[in-house]
Amino acid sequence: MALPLSAQVSLLPAEKAFRFSARAIDARSVEARFTIADGYYLYRDKIYFRVEPTSTRLSVPELPSGKIKEDEFFGRVETYRGSVVITLGLQGITPGQKLVLKAESQGCADLGICYPPTVQQVTLALPDASSAGPSTPANIGKKAWFN
Amino acid sequence: MATVKQRLVFAVVAIVALAAGAWFAVSTEVPRDATTLLALSLPDTEGKQQALAQWRGKVLVVNFWATWCAPCREEMPEFVRMQREFGPRGVQFVGIAADQPDKVDQFAKELKLNYPALIRGYGAIELSKTGGNRLSALPFTIVVDRLGSVVYTRG
Repeated sequence: MALPLSAQVSLLPAEKAFRFSARAIDARSVEARFTIADGYYLYRDKIYFRVEPTSTRLSVPELPSGKIKEDEFFGRVETYRGSVVITLGLQGITPGQKLVLKAESQGCADLGICYPPTVQQVTLALPDASSAGPSTPANIGKKAWFN
Repeated sequence: MATVKQRLVFAVVAIVALAAGAWFAVSTEVPRDATTLLALSLPDTEGKQQALAQWRGKVLVVNFWATWCAPCREEMPEFVRMQREFGPRGVQFVGIAADQPDKVDQFAKELKLNYPALIRGYGAIELSKTGGNRLSALPFTIVVDRLGSVVYTRG
């Protein structure tokens, strides 16, 4: 007998299910965003950020509350759907400097699969302290806004 | 969850058919050779190395999973039941966890897992990719027939 291949639903790769983007707000802060596809969710306590160069210090605020889910093994867990926006603070950065923001996340699809932790990155050019208004995000981040 | 159940139905059909010695067709995209998989030796929850070759000649159901994967945990009680039912007919389930030994051990005890839980960390996902796990997601299951050919994979 042949397997009903039509039953195989098309699932997104992790980078598309949990699209990461970021934009510089000003010389000292960056807005990080996960755009989560319908039918997918991220775990709140599995999100981590890192920045390069490592001389830059990143301050991550408490992440927004998610939807509480009772997990039989892990107890109370919080999940995000739709999108999550987190404003990160930066210290020790030279005005106009480029930086790479790396975000690790882990989530699942409602269809019954989970992805391992995935790292995505965005390269950002921070505005000079003197310049006003938000700057345009670089490469990966930019793409995400257009879709 | 419906899809977990759906997946299980396919797995059950495959396993029952194999246990009965029936021929089973799969997608041509499935890598047919299980040599690499069967050559593996991985530690169990007690740190003891277990060679997959020890189950050669059986219908081997290799399930890649992790405790951090809720859908994986959801389908495992059914695997426990199937191991009990089809074990005497030559079916052997083996779990390969992309996880930490202590977590795996804790969950295996809670579930009263009746088949080996081997551990490979996140390397388990890389390993499953060689078996056709295109999305690198879990769970992912490979069924190897008595002759050592991959006859079924399901993500």
